[in-house]
Amino acid sequence: METRPIKNTILIFVALVVIALITGYTLWNKPHMDIRETEAIETNAVNLYKIFITDSTEAKTTYVNKVLNVFGIVKSVSVNQEHQQIILLKTSEPDASVNCTMEGNAVGIRVGDQVLLKGLCVGYSGGEADMGLPGDVFLVRCYRFT
Amino acid sequence: MRKKIIYSAVFFLFTICVEGNCFSQEYFTKNGRISFFSKATLENITADNNQAISLLNTQTGELRFHVLINAFHFPKAMMEQHFNTDYMESEKYPSSKFKGTIAEINKVDFSKDGSYKVNVNGSLEIHGASKNITGVGAISIKDGKLSATSVFKIILKDYNIDIPSIVINNISQQIEIIVSCQYEKRMSN
Repeated sequence: METRPIKNTILIFVALVVIALITGYTLWNKPHMDIRETEAIETNAVNLYKIFITDSTEAKTTYVNKVLNVFGIVKSVSVNQEHQQIILLKTSEPDASVNCTMEGNAVGIRVGDQVLLKGLCVGYSGGEADMGLPGDVFLVRCYRFT
Repeated sequence: MRKKIIYSAVFFLFTICVEGNCFSQEYFTKNGRISFFSKATLENITADNNQAISLLNTQTGELRFHVLINAFHFPKAMMEQHFNTDYMESEKYPSSKFKGTIAEINKVDFSKDGSYKVNVNGSLEIHGASKNITGVGAISIKDGKLSATSVFKIILKDYNIDIPSIVINNISQQIEIIVSCQYEKRMSN
């Protein structure tokens, strides 16, 4: 007659283990954030670059690891070793850009076009100041909107 | 008088060249590729970063890298999150740097197609800790385009990267780093 409570305890234990395993598996396999569906901060390439140069603390707080909509003029279009499209947007510094790695390659994009790119900002990579190479502000997993 | 003008002109040009570094041959990329691989019991760990900045001086052999840690992209979101928060603390140490030299760079003929094995040494800074490293790489010149590759290993302990005890047996202490860059010539300094 006392076997029922023991059975119930075992069942509850097994159920908890199964729930824990399913939760762990789901979390471990959680997909990356969908950039296209994430709310974005609006800015433009010139201002974005400027704030990273003039106030890096503010820039990091406001923009790093955030999804941005960046409006800018295309300076160059190329392809990296992974065959991902790299679009550089003009800034006020001739040798520096907002460097956007595209998730899906944008068709028909040309130098001089005005574009709106949405992507994840990973920050400013410093370049080599003592050798005169300015850094870029980097956006990854970008999509073109206009 | 004429000699004086010529001497002045030569001196002027020399000054401009030194100031403007016109004798140097610098190549750079802002989209170099750095990957790493770690063998793990449950699942191998790989990540790619295609946003590495690198500068190579083909006259002096000086070689530099600057890499944003949070630009490493993992197949799984959870891996990326753990990498940034638990292991690399990317908010505190946002970038990794290498400053070194390619030994005997004068043995590489940058004027014609070819592939050259080179030795690299320098200081690698990861997670706020610096360590001198040496490694082997390859420089290739094809149709006037310069590319470089290298594969080397680092030990996590050398850079004060702690692995939580719960997963210490699942993650290798040694990480393989794969570097691959396609450089372009700097047109101005």
